[in-house]
Amino acid sequence: MKFSSRGVVFVGVFLSVAFPLLFPLHLPDKISPETERFKSLIDSLPSDAVVMISFDHEASTVAEVRPLAIALIRHLFSRNLRIIGLALFAEGTAIGNQVLTSIAKEYQKEYGRDWVFLGFRPQYQSTIIGMGENIQNVFPRDYRRRSTAELPLMAEVSNYSKIALVVSVADGDYAGYWVEYAHSRFGVPTAGLVTAVMMTAYLPYLNSGQLAGLVNGLKGAAEYERLLGRPDAAVRGMDAQSLAHLLIFALIVVGNIAYWWKRKR
Amino acid sequence: MSAGTIAAAVLTLAIFSFLYKENPFFRFAEHLLVGLSAGYFVVTGVQGILLPKVWEPLKSGDWLIVIPGALIIMILGRLTEKTRPLSRIPLALIVGAGAGLAIPAMLQARVLGQIKATIKPLDSISSVLILAGVIATLIYFFFSREHKGWWGKLATVGTWYLMIFFGATFGNTVMSRVSLLIGRLEFLLGDVLGLIK
Repeated sequence: MKFSSRGVVFVGVFLSVAFPLLFPLHLPDKISPETERFKSLIDSLPSDAVVMISFDHEASTVAEVRPLAIALIRHLFSRNLRIIGLALFAEGTAIGNQVLTSIAKEYQKEYGRDWVFLGFRPQYQSTIIGMGENIQNVFPRDYRRRSTAELPLMAEVSNYSKIALVVSVADGDYAGYWVEYAHSRFGVPTAGLVTAVMMTAYLPYLNSGQLAGLVNGLKGAAEYERLLGRPDAAVRGMDAQSLAHLLIFALIVVGNIAYWWKRKR
Repeated sequence: MSAGTIAAAVLTLAIFSFLYKENPFFRFAEHLLVGLSAGYFVVTGVQGILLPKVWEPLKSGDWLIVIPGALIIMILGRLTEKTRPLSRIPLALIVGAGAGLAIPAMLQARVLGQIKATIKPLDSISSVLILAGVIATLIYFFFSREHKGWWGKLATVGTWYLMIFFGATFGNTVMSRVSLLIGRLEFLLGDVLGLIK
């Protein structure tokens, strides 16, 4: 079988990712100021505060957003902060519920009192603005089909005025929608845990103070895990990430030299 | 090993087989994903929206729900040629309300909020760089004057800023895609084969 140059790149990337997963290299990794700022933001919230987490992502990006969500929920529960979860993407619903349920179990948190998962609503504009008026009108029932009026946590929280922070775990534009419709209109602090591909789109919001915090993809999740002192899946993947980046960097350099050489001849 | 893990592993390999060439295994996995996503969306919509927001209010005698309910049915008018005009009314409402909500919100967050952050004391190198970048990039996108002379030089600076942005975005895109590969390989090597401790 003749191997194409495309095939060589695929095999190279596969090996650069698989090898460090099997044999960890423990390469050094620096924590970014954005992740430190986000951790400080959560640490600054008063005990018992309520944080809203919106799972605004598809299943395809779960490898990147799940470690971010896990680190955040662990941080919140370890500080005894309470969580209201929801999803503005249908596919984020089951993933959000599964992650919240498993971490709540780990910290022995009670459903309805310490955390709630509201489920999915389409049409992000009306959902985000509607919750600014009354959350129970938008979500009369939670994901488990219970009446939200009967949940102790929801009895305390009628709209954003009792929400200390909204965090969008997003793989697209949704963290921006939270800025546009929740932060600008109702003044609720908003943060984003986003896939790396979206980072450059959101940095201006962070610099302008419209986003209170921002964490960048799997690398951000690894930094967050390190800051929490609980290395997990994201930290495990960082060696693979670094090695794959080195390979891609080398391929770009070699490709450009070859191109330059060919043109010269 | 659970049936779910085996199914996920087989489907992952079926999708990866596309790297070699297009084949029936890849197409099967691709169509399964599309079908499952659509089915999941329908079930989530019925359970999370139609039942609590339409059916239950109707059962409890809230007849006002008939109005949005009728609009939902009118949207389904698109399915036949004869009833298609009916669907334009709810669509016009959606577009109108959506634009009305979006325009002021986007102006506030994307334009006014960002301008406010740009106009600040030039007390650091980054503030100067940000202001210079905004002005140079705006000049690049100003097409009513030819990009020649000092104006052209400023427009060239704008292109440098744009190239740096594209480079940073491409770098982050690579990182994002590698992260997805890491997730799949962690699953295959760890959960399926048990090789990762």
